[in-house]
Amino acid sequence: MKKNVFVPQIPYGTRDFLPYEANQKRVIESSLAQLFARWGYDEIVTPTFEYLETLAVGVDNDVLPNMFKFFDKNNRTLALRSDMTTPLARVAATRLRETETPLRLFYLTNVFRYEQAQAGRQCEFYQAGVELMGVPGPSADAEMVALAVEAMLDTGLQDFQISLGQVEFIHGIMDEHDLTPQQGWDIKQCMLRRDLVGLEEMLAKSGLTKAGQNILKQIPLLHGREDMLEKTYHLVNNPVSKAALDNLAEIYSLLKSYGVDKYVNFDLGIMRDLDYYTGMVFEGYTPGLGFPLCGGGRYDNLVASFGVQCPATGFALGIERVLLAMERQGIAVACAAKNIYIGWDGESLPEAIKQAAELRNAGKSVELSLLPQSKEEALASQQRKGYDELLYIAGCK
Amino acid sequence: MTSADMDYLTIALPKGKLFAPSVDLLSKIGVSANDVHEKSRKLVISNEEKKVRFIITKTGDLPTYVEYGAADIGIIGKDVLLEESKDVYELLDLKFGLCRLMVAVPQALKKDKISDYAHMRVATKYPNVAERFFREMGIQMEIIKLNGSIELAPMVGLAEIIVDIVETGRTLKENQLLEIAQIHKATARFIANRVSMKMKFDRIHGIVEDLKCLLESEDKQ
Repeated sequence: MKKNVFVPQIPYGTRDFLPYEANQKRVIESSLAQLFARWGYDEIVTPTFEYLETLAVGVDNDVLPNMFKFFDKNNRTLALRSDMTTPLARVAATRLRETETPLRLFYLTNVFRYEQAQAGRQCEFYQAGVELMGVPGPSADAEMVALAVEAMLDTGLQDFQISLGQVEFIHGIMDEHDLTPQQGWDIKQCMLRRDLVGLEEMLAKSGLTKAGQNILKQIPLLHGREDMLEKTYHLVNNPVSKAALDNLAEIYSLLKSYGVDKYVNFDLGIMRDLDYYTGMVFEGYTPGLGFPLCGGGRYDNLVASFGVQCPATGFALGIERVLLAMERQGIAVACAAKNIYIGWDGESLPEAIKQAAELRNAGKSVELSLLPQSKEEALASQQRKGYDELLYIAGCK
Repeated sequence: MTSADMDYLTIALPKGKLFAPSVDLLSKIGVSANDVHEKSRKLVISNEEKKVRFIITKTGDLPTYVEYGAADIGIIGKDVLLEESKDVYELLDLKFGLCRLMVAVPQALKKDKISDYAHMRVATKYPNVAERFFREMGIQMEIIKLNGSIELAPMVGLAEIIVDIVETGRTLKENQLLEIAQIHKATARFIANRVSMKMKFDRIHGIVEDLKCLLESEDKQ
């Protein structure tokens, strides 16, 4: 090993986007921003860090240990945002409370979570997302799912699937059966951990009726299309779960009008790991990526935690995950064009600058050599740097 | 690619004692390929006709392969799942490979209650499991991660306590070790990647149902 060689490190969970990757990211993000704008959404930017107590509103205690925290001059605790939904709920409840609803907002930004890095997710990662606030009911939820499908298609992915669930379906079943708060919590934890064996063991000890055990055991496996909803309807006896299924059916019928139903199926076992969801929830998957690409759902009480009743729904898409999925599926991102390389010789720099300016004004991307080159050198530079054409200027006085 | 291929199902099998019973169980429900054996030189063993692929991994790595979707499904001991805490579906208890994760001490060191062991050194292959167990007991320990022959550690003064898996308890007896607490019973589990579970639901669910039927019929015999 060499001694005394200083190799600067970057912290765990961060990454550089070198020009090629940064370009891909830019292309996808610009395209998504245009898509969201076409659907009538306005961009919003909020602070990268806020008071911890603000970001902690309405989120469940599991999230807090994973926030990056620090102090301001007055020793108040600050935290980097770990998602955009809570900051947007704050904005909706305060700065935008007088604005006419529905509010349609989108963002493209980095968020921070101190957790084990995963495929396509470091501790700092990028999200594109939308929130639709002020409207309850299936029309808003259907718009979310349809827009999520369009966003995936927009990035270039062809092969993906969106699964819809409804957290009220699960709550209804849990309430229908006599569970102690501890049992309810344990069962929910097993479902969140996707531990079906643990769930079965716990139910066997719970003293619930066989029928009750069976339905709870089946929740994580209730997966399919419309006919599954139909069948499930007859399995449950409580109004809350039935209403949740009706809600999904209504959303689905609107998705048919949007023409995106072929990308959508149902999975009643989906429980997003954030506690603020209150209705429909969904996740998007694509082959070759072991983690969901996007996710979201309805959160009717979060804005109320900031003092204003405001039903809301939204979703976010992981930019790095999209890039990773595209790479694995061999889908090329249309990179920004590199049009013309200008080489020059002798006294020709002023002329070359003039020509470069004209071409740039005409919308071309132009790289101007900063040193004189022979024609052969200029040709080699053009090819190495990947420009479509060479413009060589020589012999000017 | 493996799980990116929607036609194929990639199955991860662990090296070691769970390997043979896993292959046996899967072949009974028609999920098999030629040449699936532990010493196989091939890293990926395919059955083109049945559209399945097998990969054979080190036990501790298996949950990672499944979590990242490099394999769609896999079979692995609960002890490894507890230690690795990966985000995977745990779909079925396959009942074989029964052992238990437990705490043991040399007979001479036996105390009245667990808290009397506070601040002692614990040798284990399962540092996360050990850490969690003692934390829940409200005591702090010094955890020493080893890769095998855990019983050796107390004999040579590397640690006072061990956390390890035992099947019969014979090794413990031979080394004058006394089991003082059981942490968890462990058997082989059938696990699945969370995205594969959604995108290849019918196939994976079909295998789970077949395995369930098989286990129930074997139970009755």
